Amino acid sequence: MFFRRKPILTLAVLLAVSLPLTIGFAAVSKHKGAKGAAAQMDERQRASHVLNRFTFGPQPGDLEKVTAMGVDKWFEQQLNPGKIDDSLLESRLQPLRTLKMDAREMVEEFPPNQVIKAIADGKMAMPTDSSKRAIYEARLEAYRDKRDNKAAGNDKAAGTDAPPKDQETASDSPAMREDIRRQRAEARTEAARLAALSPNDKFNAILKMDPESRRVMLRGIRDEDPQQLLNGLSPEQRETLLALVNPTQVVTNELVSSKILRSAYSERQLEEVMTDFWFNHFNVFIGKGPDRYMITSYERDVIRKHALGRFSDLLLATAKSPAMLFYLDNFQSVGPNSQVGSGQRPQIRNPRRMDGMNGGPGIFRRNRRVGRARRPYPNDPNMAGAANAGQKQRPKRGLNENYAREVMELHTLGVDGGYTQRDVTELAKVFTGWTLREPRRGGDYEFNERMHEPGQKNVLGQKIKEDGENEGKKMLEFLARNPATAHFISKKLALRFVSDDPPQSLVDRMAETFLHSKGDIKEVLRTMFRSPEFWIPETYRAKVKTPFEFVVSAVRATGADVTEPAQLGRSLQKMGMPLYGMQPPTGYSSKAEAWVNSSALLNRMNFALSLAGGKMRGVSVNPAKVLQGAQPPQDAAAGIDLLARSLLGGEISKQTRDTVLQQLQDQDRSTTATPQLGTVAGLLLGSPEFQRR
Amino acid sequence: MSITRRIFFRNSAMAVIGTSLIPRFLTQAAFASDSITSGKKRLVVLFQRGAADGLNIVVPHGEPLYYRMRPTIGIPQPNRGRASAIDLEGYFGLHPAMASFKPLWDSKQLAIVHAAGSPDNTRSHFDAQDYMESGTPGVKSTTDGWLNRAIAAEKVAKESPFRAIALGSSLPRALSGQAPAIAISDINDFRVGGKSSGPAVSSASTSFESMYAESVDSVLHGTGRETFDAVKMLKAADPAKYSPAAGANYPRGRFAGSLRQVAQLLKADLGVEVAFVDIGGWDHHVNEGNTEGQLANLLRDFSQSISSFWTDLGDLGEDTVLVTMSEFGRTARENGSRGTDHGHANVMFVLGGPVKGGKVYGKWPGLDDRHLYEGRDLEVTTDFRSVLGECLTKHLGAQKLQSVFPGFDFSHQDTLRFL
Repeated sequence: MFFRRKPILTLAVLLAVSLPLTIGFAAVSKHKGAKGAAAQMDERQRASHVLNRFTFGPQPGDLEKVTAMGVDKWFEQQLNPGKIDDSLLESRLQPLRTLKMDAREMVEEFPPNQVIKAIADGKMAMPTDSSKRAIYEARLEAYRDKRDNKAAGNDKAAGTDAPPKDQETASDSPAMREDIRRQRAEARTEAARLAALSPNDKFNAILKMDPESRRVMLRGIRDEDPQQLLNGLSPEQRETLLALVNPTQVVTNELVSSKILRSAYSERQLEEVMTDFWFNHFNVFIGKGPDRYMITSYERDVIRKHALGRFSDLLLATAKSPAMLFYLDNFQSVGPNSQVGSGQRPQIRNPRRMDGMNGGPGIFRRNRRVGRARRPYPNDPNMAGAANAGQKQRPKRGLNENYAREVMELHTLGVDGGYTQRDVTELAKVFTGWTLREPRRGGDYEFNERMHEPGQKNVLGQKIKEDGENEGKKMLEFLARNPATAHFISKKLALRFVSDDPPQSLVDRMAETFLHSKGDIKEVLRTMFRSPEFWIPETYRAKVKTPFEFVVSAVRATGADVTEPAQLGRSLQKMGMPLYGMQPPTGYSSKAEAWVNSSALLNRMNFALSLAGGKMRGVSVNPAKVLQGAQPPQDAAAGIDLLARSLLGGEISKQTRDTVLQQLQDQDRSTTATPQLGTVAGLLLGSPEFQRR
Repeated sequence: MSITRRIFFRNSAMAVIGTSLIPRFLTQAAFASDSITSGKKRLVVLFQRGAADGLNIVVPHGEPLYYRMRPTIGIPQPNRGRASAIDLEGYFGLHPAMASFKPLWDSKQLAIVHAAGSPDNTRSHFDAQDYMESGTPGVKSTTDGWLNRAIAAEKVAKESPFRAIALGSSLPRALSGQAPAIAISDINDFRVGGKSSGPAVSSASTSFESMYAESVDSVLHGTGRETFDAVKMLKAADPAKYSPAAGANYPRGRFAGSLRQVAQLLKADLGVEVAFVDIGGWDHHVNEGNTEGQLANLLRDFSQSISSFWTDLGDLGEDTVLVTMSEFGRTARENGSRGTDHGHANVMFVLGGPVKGGKVYGKWPGLDDRHLYEGRDLEVTTDFRSVLGECLTKHLGAQKLQSVFPGFDFSHQDTLRFL
């Protein structure tokens, strides 16, 4: 480390002398805290800075690559992701078939409980395709068992396939535990026997097993390594086997896996960072009913598609997306004076068909009776029991102002954007009729005139003439080009990319670009990148990583090979940042204060030790990659310096270095550092330095 | 920004106390082992995030308008079996899913404050929670939380790292500030290495401890230090040995799990003075349900967790007060999707040995149009700060309410005297 410092300092001085004009030196010195030329970032810091801000963290070799290319060129390249080859990532994503499906296909292939229930109740037909059929049969069996057990007042006994809850009650008896242990042992033996077969034989043997013993076996190995059963199977076979136990989990796991794989391995890093940013900005929650099936398409066709496009397009796409329409309830907001709201019964279409259980194309037959039953959300834990609510009379459906409020507060103007409760109610009327066909079957957007509130609306001083769906489009355009929106979005971008307290001058400049470029996201990012405030030393490593940023940056720094990304998803859950799991529409905070606390720190340290120590299932760290071709170090100090260079860009504090060295010396003075690289790497990834970007 | 200031304060305070790690820890350990909590008062604060529907939680069944405004989600009048409200004092009734609160009410440990809330008119979850946790409605620049200021204002000679705790993976806004406070998601793996142990783990722990203790990174340094102090104390006290008392049948789930762990920490005598737990999922815009349904399920979890916690605490309940809040209430009328939208006033529960329970406190504003806030919501007649202020002064013995709730004039408030 020492031997590197001098050249860097010299370089810094040279740069400071020769480059100040190109990066707007005059403006820098105006910003409080700027210390003049000597305080500029040097080239290596600049490269490290852009990697830490516009990617999920440097991989081994990235720093050198970006330094050689120059940060400006690299950034322009990242702004045009379509031109960057990403075939390595594509091959990692290949087995995750749901990523290419729409929600409707997913619901059919991986049926949720209420579809199974509808079949059990004779309200839907079974699919004919044999592997689909196997999934449906397995789920039906489990469903009937569960129902029978419930009827017998034995809710917790075998037959419930739901994963165990985090808290066991004290009433789990020793006999029951013994029973479970025995079942697990048998399951392991059976699984081992099957694992020895050829992939196709194995798959067919499992499909042919009677559902009860298959369930016992699959449940038995669920908490252990299911890989032995899945090895060698085609993606479709794998998914089928997993779906026998839990079809919705296949969808969730593939979604979570794709996010982790993309963040860790995509060459189009800025596009992924922006996708993460916008998803969080337009947050939806995977736990809300059918949203589980809608998010894959939401992220792919709405968020990523427009991540570096125009804000107004992004806003409109989110407004029409099934995921958002369901999440913020707009799909069932009805104008009080519309045909539906005023109680005029429809002749053919029934508004309650939105509840989704009747009719529709696909493998299911139509059934009017179900559609009319007042059971809007059969067997949905989110909605359970709600059916009773409406049995006495037919209530008039009406306005739901959830989306109208959040689109102004969280998506565009910001909470201080100057709107009133009256504006919220009026805007809710504008959006009436923006609804979904069959949300429980995947759902497609449609505008339903009969739900739309007639008459003129007054929102934020705008008189909106009655114009059906166009009213909402006009209002979204209006919101997208509002100066309050420009500021709100620019501030949020600056919070993500610059610091927890970004300079107002920077935010103002970005907002100006936002307004005159008509919300061109690339242009706003360029303005930020070219602003002197982005490059002042105060912003260097000023951001504390969120848990997601921490986990992915650790994977990238170590060049780890992730074969079971869902495991990392579980770690994130523990760190308080479950992917797609933020229930309120605010999304996650990017500020340090939200993430720096005792629990979080311990979780990070433990994650670091476990990752670097090779103890994490489905993640392997390759020492050769971390060493970047260097010779294995000869002593502890050399080992630490080498790893500090790969993992921390060489920026290790004296305290951290001394501490790690001390531990190595205390542990064993006789061995070389090589076998302890894992320990050192774990300590460095858990160090204060690695918590920042 | 706020965090830097907070750390700055904390670090200056530490500089005065002294920077040597070990002596400080030892004093705490010694402190922990003898006499921390005997006779000491505790406050447990529960936050219902998402705006709970107070009108369906403590139901004004004596108010005919209530049934007109809520034709499908209204809770029927008492004495109609399980599908009706549990009568309290002739006018109000508990939601039937909260039957486990009735004995607490009958034994006069449970008090209710109705039509309580924040005077600010925001209907944004985020802002309203922020205001309720900062304790300064309408003021966004407040950087710390009321609960943190409350403990910061009352210095104690020897401060346990567990004096202020939150169960969860992040520290809530109410507990952020200059006074040390820690977040714990699970007391059983609150240490380096989690559930595993061994020499490698303990030496890694030592290394991390010294890295963070010596770090010049002001944000991470302070938190790291609090963390390791707490880890050591927790290990010494071994709260795992306190299993729930007989009769404390906690439901499953995160909320009950958190309360169970709070009980363990209280029983382990770690010096907990304030504890914060939250429970989400109250934002029922759609299909809220009535005596059964989404709200009912959540209330069952909520009330059974609390009553189990109370049973579990046993005698400790004599010196403990528990108070609940939610950022705002919901519209008096049900909306077009058999749910309710964002409203204004709500209901707060106060439970504890010293509480004069069995009574609904506060002025009931009524539901007629003249009295509805902005023509749609229950009006706030009791500021939430006067409820919390009373808990702080009369229970914890706080002297400096002005610094806890700056800008709030207590002299103009009627003290409810539930304590």
